[in-house]
Amino acid sequence: MKFAQRLARWRRWFRPPRTLRVTRAGKTYLLLTLGVGLGALNTGNNLLYLVLGVQLATIVASGLLSEASLRGLRIRRLGAEAPHAGEPFVYRWAVSRQRGMAFALTFSESHPELVGSSTLALLRPSEEVVVRCQLLAPRRGPYALEGVRVTTTFPLGLFSKGRILEVPGELLVFPRRIPAPKADAVAEAGRGDRPARRYRREGDGDTAGLRPLREGEDARRVHWLKSAQRGQLLRVERDAEETRSVVLYLDTAALGAPLERACEEAAARVKALLALGAEVGLEAAPERLLPDHGPRHERRLLGVLARAGLEEANPP
Amino acid sequence: MTARGTDRLRGVLRDLGAAAAFLAMTLSSQVPLWMALVFIAALGLALLDLRPFAGHVRESALLLLGSILVLWAMVASGHMDLVVAACTCAALLTAQRMLSAPGPAVDQQVALSGLLMLCGGAALSADLAFLPCLFAYTILTSLAVTLGEVQRAAPAGAPPPARPVLRAAVALVLVAVVGGALFFFAFPRLSWNLAAHRSTLSLGGPVAGLGDRLRLGGSGELKSNPRIVFRAELEPDPRVDSLDGYWVAYRFDTFDGVEWREQAHPGRPLQRLTVGPRTSRGISQTIELLPAYGSRTAVALDRPVQFSMATAYLPAYSIRTALLPMGDESVRFDGSASGFRYNAYSVPIPARVEPDAATRDRRLELPPHLDPRIPALAHELAGNATEPAQMARRLERGLLQRYRYTLELPGPVADPLADFLFQRRAGHCEDFATALAVLLRTLGIPSRVVTGFYGGERIANVYAVRAGDAHAWVEADVPAGTLRLDATPPQNRSAARTTLLSWFLGAYERLEVRWLSGVVDYSFADQVTFLRGMGGGASQRRGLQAHLPRAAPLAGLGALVLGAGLLWFLWRRREDEAGRLGGALHRLLAAAGLLAPGQWLEELPRAPQAVPTPVRRAVARYLEARFGTRPLQRGERRALLDAARTALHGPRAL
Repeated sequence: MKFAQRLARWRRWFRPPRTLRVTRAGKTYLLLTLGVGLGALNTGNNLLYLVLGVQLATIVASGLLSEASLRGLRIRRLGAEAPHAGEPFVYRWAVSRQRGMAFALTFSESHPELVGSSTLALLRPSEEVVVRCQLLAPRRGPYALEGVRVTTTFPLGLFSKGRILEVPGELLVFPRRIPAPKADAVAEAGRGDRPARRYRREGDGDTAGLRPLREGEDARRVHWLKSAQRGQLLRVERDAEETRSVVLYLDTAALGAPLERACEEAAARVKALLALGAEVGLEAAPERLLPDHGPRHERRLLGVLARAGLEEANPP
Repeated sequence: MTARGTDRLRGVLRDLGAAAAFLAMTLSSQVPLWMALVFIAALGLALLDLRPFAGHVRESALLLLGSILVLWAMVASGHMDLVVAACTCAALLTAQRMLSAPGPAVDQQVALSGLLMLCGGAALSADLAFLPCLFAYTILTSLAVTLGEVQRAAPAGAPPPARPVLRAAVALVLVAVVGGALFFFAFPRLSWNLAAHRSTLSLGGPVAGLGDRLRLGGSGELKSNPRIVFRAELEPDPRVDSLDGYWVAYRFDTFDGVEWREQAHPGRPLQRLTVGPRTSRGISQTIELLPAYGSRTAVALDRPVQFSMATAYLPAYSIRTALLPMGDESVRFDGSASGFRYNAYSVPIPARVEPDAATRDRRLELPPHLDPRIPALAHELAGNATEPAQMARRLERGLLQRYRYTLELPGPVADPLADFLFQRRAGHCEDFATALAVLLRTLGIPSRVVTGFYGGERIANVYAVRAGDAHAWVEADVPAGTLRLDATPPQNRSAARTTLLSWFLGAYERLEVRWLSGVVDYSFADQVTFLRGMGGGASQRRGLQAHLPRAAPLAGLGALVLGAGLLWFLWRRREDEAGRLGGALHRLLAAAGLLAPGQWLEELPRAPQAVPTPVRRAVARYLEARFGTRPLQRGERRALLDAARTALHGPRAL
C-alpha cells in the first residue's frame, strides 16, 4: 500500500465522524457561558456556578439529542427526473429509521458542486419518508455521489451537527437548456431525413372515420362517446402523418466551451425535433443512437449528450 | 395542533420562561419599580399575542437604545448600581424582543436575554426562590426553543409535531438539570465565595420579639412561630438532631415588678471583642442572624467570651461591621442591617465570674412593692438548705413541680408575679424565670433573668433556631460560679406545636436553611469534607490510605477520560466495521484482478460466473451492513474475509 493511501486511511480513521458548526445563537450562548464562568470563578458566587452548570449541561444535552437524531438513519437515493445544468431540479431521497425519532434534519448532497438542501421536521421510527430537495448543478455530466450530508440544529439551534451517510451513486446532469435555434429545426436537420418507419400502422393525424374494434386491437383507440351511442365498441381511424427521421451529429473532438455549446444546442434541437414529432437519432462518437421518439428515447439522447466528451463521473 | 396553535404555544412558553428569569432578578427587590411595571405590561401584551413592535423594528430599537443610555447616565451619576443597571438593560431587551414579531430566531434572543436576567438574579440575590425560577426558565425556554427549531424545519404552514418534540425537550431539561447539579457539586471551587449576596427573603418582618426590656403579662403567640431566626455552625459539632443549648441574647438585672431592664452602656466599637478567657472546652460558633431575628444584639451559646468577623447584610451588598460591648456581657452590632454573620466562642456554664459590688447589689435588688407572700414562698421552697447552690436548685425544682406551663394568659395585670405565683399558678417561661430570680433574691442570692433561645434543630450540618425557641431563664451567682437555672418545664422550653400554615412556613425556612448551607455557602472545604467522607475519614487512616481521598478526584477524572476514550474507540470500530470489510474486500478483489481500479464493489455481480460464491456472499453482506439493513455481528467480518481469501487463493498455509 502506498504511503499516501496509508496516510489517507489514517487520516480517515482519526477524522471525527461528525462535523460541528456553531450557529450565531450558539456563539452568543458560548460567549455568555464563558462570561458566566469567568464571573463565577472570579467572585465565587455559587448561584453563578449553578447557572454555569445548567448552561454546560444544556450544551451536553444538546449534543446528546442531536446525536440521537443523526444515528441509525438510512437513506436511499430516488434520484431526479430530468436534471439540467444551471437550473434547479427536484432530487429525492427516501429516508427511514428503525428506532427512535429524529427531528429537524437537513439533507444535502456531499458533492461540493451540488447546491441545495431540504429539511425534514420529524422522522418517526420504521417510517420511510421521501424528502424532496431542489438541487442546482452548475455543469452537465455525470456526478459521482459519495454520500448524503445530514445535519441538524436540534434541539436548541446552538450547534449544527452533521454527518455524511455514505450512499454511493451517480447523478447524470443533462446539458443546460437554451432556446432552440431559430431556423427550422427539421429543415436544418441535415442528411438522414427519411420517411416514417413502415411498421407504424396507426396515424396520428386527422380523424378519418370510425369502424368496429377488432379483437386484439388497442383499446386506447376506442371512441367512447360514439361507442356508447351505438352500443358497440368503435375505434377511431386517423390519417397517418408523415414523420421525418433526423440524425444529429455531435463533434466530440471539440473541447471546452465549443463542446459545451454544441451539446446545449444539440439538446435544444433534440427537444424541438421531438416536439415536432420527428424521430431523432444521434451520433456522438463513440456513441450512436438510432432515430426514435418518445420520452425514454429523449432521456437516452440527453444522457449521451450529457456524457459527451467526458470520460467518467466527476469525483467530488 | 395547528401551525397557529403551535406558534401560540411556543410564544407562551417563551414568554413565561422570560417571566421566570425576570422573577429571579426581582427577588432581590433592587430592580426599579418602573422596570417591573414595564416588564409586567410587556408580558401581559405578549401573552395576549399583541406585538406592537412587530412592524416597528427601527423605532423600538431606538427606544431601547435611549432607555439604555438613560440607565448608564444614572449609573454614571451614582443614582443606580452598575449590576442593577445591567439587569435592567437585560429586562428591557427581553421586553422589546417579546413584543417584536415572533419567530424561532426571536425565541432564541428572548432565551439569551432571559439568561442574562437569570445571571443578574444570581448576582443580586441568594434566595431559595431563585432555584424554582431557574428550573422554570430552563424548562419553559427549552420547550419553546426546541419547538421553534423543529418548526423551522417543517414546511411552511405545516404544524410541527408538538407532542414528540415536547417529549424530547423534557429529556433535554432532565439532562440539563441533573448535569447542572453534578457540575455544581463537582466543579472545584477555586475562589472564596466573596461576592455572593446573602440577604435572604424575609417572609414578613422581624418576629423574634426580643428586646432590651422584658415586660411580663405578654401573650405566648411567639412560642408557636416556626420562623427561623438564626442558624449556627458549631465546632466541635455535637451531631445531635435537637440541641440542648441555651443561646444568650439579653441579660436583665433590674426589675420593677412588671418589667425587666438591662443595664447597658455601649463601649467603643471593635472588630474583635473579648469579654472573658477562652478555655479548651469551649465551642466555636459561626452564626447567621436572619431577617426574622430583627435585632442588633448578638446571640451565642452558654457564656460567650469572644466575638469576631462580624458582617452585616445590607440590601445591595455585605459589609464588615464593628461590635459594641454593652457592659453587661451582651454585644451589639454597630449599625442596622437585615442580617448579620459573625463568629463567637463560648465557654460552658458554670463559669467563675466575680461580679463587682455594684453589680452584685443590682442583682439582689427587689421590686419596690413585693408581695409579702413571695419571701415566705422562697423559704418554703428552699426548705432546710443552707448552701446557695443547693437553695437555688430547690427553688428551681419547687417551681417546676408546683406550677404549670401555659400560653393562655389574660393580658396585663397589676402584679404579674403574684398573679403567676398565687392566682393562676400557671405561666410561660418569662413568668417562671422572673419568679425564680425574685425568689433567689429574697434569699440573698444574686440573680438575673436571661433571654435568648433554647435548642436548635440540626438541618444540613447547621443548627436552626426558630422564633418559637425564644426562652427566658435565670443566672444565679453562687460561690462556685454562675449557675444557670431553668424553672420552665423541659417540654415547654422549645417551640410549641404549630398550625398548618405555620408548618408550611417552617418547612419553607427549613428548605431555605438547606439551600443556604448546601448551595449558597457551598465551598471548597465542603468538597474536601465530602471526599474525605467518601474515603471514610482521613484521620483514621494511615500511610498511603490517608492520601487516598486526595487522589480520588484525580483517579475519578482519569477513569472518566479513559472510559470516554474507550467508548469512543469501540464506537468508532463498530461504526467502521462494515467500511473495513469493504476496504479489505476491495483490496482482495483488486489483487485477484476481479475489480478494476476505480470500480465499486457494487459492480462486482455483473460478472457472477467469475466470482466465487464466498466472495459474492461477503460482498452482499458488506452491502447489507454498509447501508444499514443488517449490521455485522461480532467476528463476522473476519469469517467472511477468511472465506473469501480461501475461495480466491486456497487455504492459508499454517
